[in-house]
Order: sequence, then C-alpha cells, then structure tokens
Amino acid sequence: MGGAVEAKEKPNENPILWVARPMATAAKQFAKSLVRPSTIVYPFERLEDPKFRGKVAVESGRPIGVGEVWDNYRGVHALNIATCISCNLCAFSCPDLCIDMVTVPGGDPKHPKKCPQIDYGKCSYCGFCSDACPEGCLTMTTRYELSVTKRADMVYSPERLHEVFRSKLPMNPIRLARPENEDAILLDPPLCIGCNACARDCPTQCITMLDVPKPDAKPGEKLPKRIWKEPVVNDSDCVRCGTCISVCPKECLFWGTRK
Amino acid sequence: MSNLTLFSVSDLLVTVLLTAIASIFPEPIRGWLTNPDLLLGLACLVFGALLLAASMLNTILLIWWERKLLGRFMDRRGAMHVGFAGLLQNFADGFKLFKKDTVQPREADALGFYAGPTIYMVTSLVLFGILPISSGWNSGALPLTLLLALAVFSFAPLFIFVSAWSSNNKYSLMGGMRSAAQMIAYEVPLLLAVVAVVIVAGSFDLTTIVYEQQNYWFWGPLFLALLVFVAGMLAEMERIPFDLPEAEAELVEGWNTEYGGMLFAFFMLADYLRALVGSILVVLLFLGGWTLPTWVPAAFTSFPLAGIFWFMVKTYLVFGLFVWIRASLPRVRTDQLLRVGWNRMIPLSLLSVFLAAVLVTAKCLPVFGCVPSPGG
Repeated sequence: MGGAVEAKEKPNENPILWVARPMATAAKQFAKSLVRPSTIVYPFERLEDPKFRGKVAVESGRPIGVGEVWDNYRGVHALNIATCISCNLCAFSCPDLCIDMVTVPGGDPKHPKKCPQIDYGKCSYCGFCSDACPEGCLTMTTRYELSVTKRADMVYSPERLHEVFRSKLPMNPIRLARPENEDAILLDPPLCIGCNACARDCPTQCITMLDVPKPDAKPGEKLPKRIWKEPVVNDSDCVRCGTCISVCPKECLFWGTRK
Repeated sequence: MSNLTLFSVSDLLVTVLLTAIASIFPEPIRGWLTNPDLLLGLACLVFGALLLAASMLNTILLIWWERKLLGRFMDRRGAMHVGFAGLLQNFADGFKLFKKDTVQPREADALGFYAGPTIYMVTSLVLFGILPISSGWNSGALPLTLLLALAVFSFAPLFIFVSAWSSNNKYSLMGGMRSAAQMIAYEVPLLLAVVAVVIVAGSFDLTTIVYEQQNYWFWGPLFLALLVFVAGMLAEMERIPFDLPEAEAELVEGWNTEYGGMLFAFFMLADYLRALVGSILVVLLFLGGWTLPTWVPAAFTSFPLAGIFWFMVKTYLVFGLFVWIRASLPRVRTDQLLRVGWNRMIPLSLLSVFLAAVLVTAKCLPVFGCVPSPGG
C-alpha cells in the first residue's frame, strides 16, 4: 500500500463541472447527430455521390473524399478490346506478372487475338501496364470495389475488363510520352533468313519484307541459300512491343538506336 | 382493466386450453385434466414463462436501445441492417453466441465456473419477476417487495466473485475483487437512499410506493436521494464510469475474461437485465411508476395497457440517461471510486435520509402537492 497515488485535482474547480461539462458536450453531439450522423452508409451511399459533394470534407487539403475520386486514381483496369493490338507490352511491363495474354474471339486462326487478363490478387496497381499500352486501350479507372467471394473471381478476363470500359468511368489519363527514334528495332542483315515471322506477328503491321539486292560473294565465301528479303521497320508505326524480336528464329533483330 | 392481471391472463389461457383438450377424453381422464390443482400449477408455469419472455425481450430491446443511442452519441449509427433499424441484430448475436463452444480453462474449478454465471442469471431473473411493471402485473404483491428486490440485487458480487475465482485467471480474479469491493461500497448509500423513499412513502411495498406518488413524484422532494440512488445503481450495474471490474484497457474483460459462448451470453444478458431492473427501480421509486401526473389528459392514460406503455417509456428514458452518462464520462480510478463511495456517497445518503425525515415530520410535503395518505 506504500505508494498510494494521491489524486491531483485542480482545487479551484467545481467537481460538479467534471460531470456536467462532458455530459453537455455529449448532449450537443447527440443533438447534432440526431439529424444525420457523419457516417456514410457505405454500400448504399458513397462519398463520390453528388449529394456529398462539398459536404463531407476532410480538413487537410483536397483528398479523395471531397465528393470525388482523384482523376489519376489507379483502380480496376478498363480494356477496350476493339483497339487492343495484342502487343503484349502490358504483360511485359507488369512487375507482378499478374497479366496473362489470353485468346479472345476476333482474330484469324493464324494470328489469334490476345488480350490481357489481370489477376487482381497479384496486381499492385502500379499502372505500368497502362503506361506501356501503346494504343491507350488499357487504362486504369476510378473503380475501387474489388471484394469477391471466390478467389477465382479476382481474375478479370478481357471480357470483364471490357465491361469496366463500357461503364465509362473516369479513366487515368497518364501516358508516358514515347521517344520517336530511340530503341528502334534494328536488323543484323547477315543473319536474317527472310523467314517473314516478324512481319507476320507484328501487331501493327509496321514491318514489311522488302527485296534487297543480293550481296556479292567474296572470293572463297559461301553465302547461305535464302530468299533475299529483309524486314524494314516503319518507326512511326512501331509500338516497340518487341514481338518481332521474340519471334525471330535467328535472333537477328535487336533493340538499338537508329542512326 | 384493473381486473386483468398477468396471472389471470395465464390462468384463463390454461383453463381454456385444458378444458378444450379434456372435452375429447372420456370421463375419468377429463376429471383428472380439469383438476383445479393441475390448473393452478400449469397457470403458474405459463405465468413464469410469460415473465421470462417479457424479461428477455426487454433485455434484448434494451441492448438495442443502448447501441442506437450510443451510436448517436458517437456520431454514428448503431446496428441498422438486421431487421428494421437493426432490431433483430441482438437476436442474431445471441444465436451466434448460442452456437459457440463453451471452453472451460484447464485450471478452472468446474463447479464455480458453471454455477457462477447460472446463479447470476437466475438471481437477475428473480429480480425482474418480483418487480411490479403495472397495476395488473401482480407478481410483486408482497408487503416487503423492495427489501426482497434489494436483497436479491446484492447477491451478485458473491457469485461474480465465485466465478472470477474459479476461472483461475489473474485478470478474472482482479476483476472479481474490484467488483466485490465496488458493490459493497455502493450498496450502503444505495440502501440509505431507498430508506429515504421508504420514510416518505411509509411502505416497503413497491405498489404502495407507486400509489403514494399519484399526486407528486418523489424525484422532486427527494432529489438528493435520487442522485445517490442513480450513482449507486451505476456502480451496481458496473456501467461506465464505474466499470472498473471490466476495465478493458487493464483487465482483459474483467471477471468474465474466461467465459465464451453461452456462458458469456448469460453474463451479458444478466448485466443488461440488471441494468433494466435498475432503471425500473428508479422509475418505481422516484418517477411514479406506471402513473402519470393528474394534469395529463385522460386520453393518454385510458388506452389498453397504458400503464405498461408509460412504464416502459419511462424505463427506457432512464436507461437513456445511463447511456448518456456512459457516453460522457471516463472510467474512474479504483481509489477515486472507493473514496467517492465511502466518503461522499454515504454522507450524502445520510443527509437525504435526514431530509426525508424532516419533510415527513414537519409536514412539508404539501409544498410539493402531496396529499398525505390517510394511513401514513
């Protein structure tokens, strides 16, 4: 019992006030929230509903929740299947490897059309994919509601992403500007066998196979037997997706800076 | 209306049902079935079942009422999704608790562990059973109802302490000790405040006390006693600011730390049942019970079950006051609690007894509009 704590009370204050003041405060709060408590009944109402515009404000600055969601909010993706060129850049750029390119109807049998399917269980919402998308068909929207009951529902097929696109949500407008002549596709001519794989698989059809003059053989050199065609890349149409590099059987295409 | 009591209703119910059933049987069996002793026994059972249903229903409604009020005090909404305005939320919660396992700690003493909550629950139910809710609720027709009610009320610390000790957990034990200390400290001023009421009303019978308040309610002349009684009730019910035995911040959940499932539901229900009984006692002793002041138009008091209706309105408003206090005040320290209990509350309650005695002997009560009862 030695160290009994002695209560330190302000001697000049009326003890009745210790009870009365907080009770008055509570009564004031009660009267205020009797009309409408600050709670927003979330699944039925949302902060971005027009009726909350300007009413529910967070005091510091202009955060999400002043009746709107930020324009560059990175939520669920929207995919416009019609403009997707199956360039695979979104899947390449994804740091979480959550994007699979799956076949969607619309391509021809030789060149199936492939569109991104996103696993939101893995996605980190970094937005690299929509930055990388050359056609602007994969963007991020302001939709933030992702709760599902089954894990399989976390995977959004291209069709579901297209549904999001059709709901016309505000979309993330950020896109990286692309340098014109950097990282162009270059060719190492002696290796090329003119197989046409790059031109066949190019999503933008910017590669054409052109006849090239047959080089003269030096004395004693044996030239490979081939059709003398070589790919020529139209840099202004190229989206730098690298599909041609990955399909080239002889590894004669590579990234480089065009002189 | 005045002849229609809860017991007569259950008696009528049993008689009608049993005669209907007996009429399809031949003579000897019919005679046995319509035996008046059997009728009386069954009527008592039905009466008890009705009381039990009323108490449980009111308790669960009270929890809902607290959740809604507390929500508004905290600038939010209370339960609102299950049922209309969340009325069924507590039934859902109760069902969830009912389904859960009862886990008995390995070191616990089984007898005390199970007997504690059960007896706590039973005494609380007895409490509700002996209080008159309206003139037709004749379960409280004893000359010493008030004494019996307070005696049963003061059982609680013993069984809380038993269950806390047999849980074999340091938090439970500390909570139980605090509970016992607090309840004993506040029992004395509580009883003294009641003595003031008894002096003015001249009876221990709650029904008589209510009828003494026909012309004026006791809260005016006995305001000091009301204050002491409410503070003592808060401590008896272990509600904030006197919820030291269950202080979540320091003792996990106090004396019911080790309880889960149905046993926890017992404690929870009994707690709120005692809160209900506390509010009912305040209404009975100080706020005129089921009566309304004489200047109230007769239309407000003449509809069927008006007595029960107004009684419940008053009870829920008094409980609203307790919720208001809970929403406003912080928890006090143990030393503050005991010092206030022994040093402030007991002198105040003695003062209120003295004032009541002066009021009665100096015949000052007519100042408040009192017409002294002829026998008093």
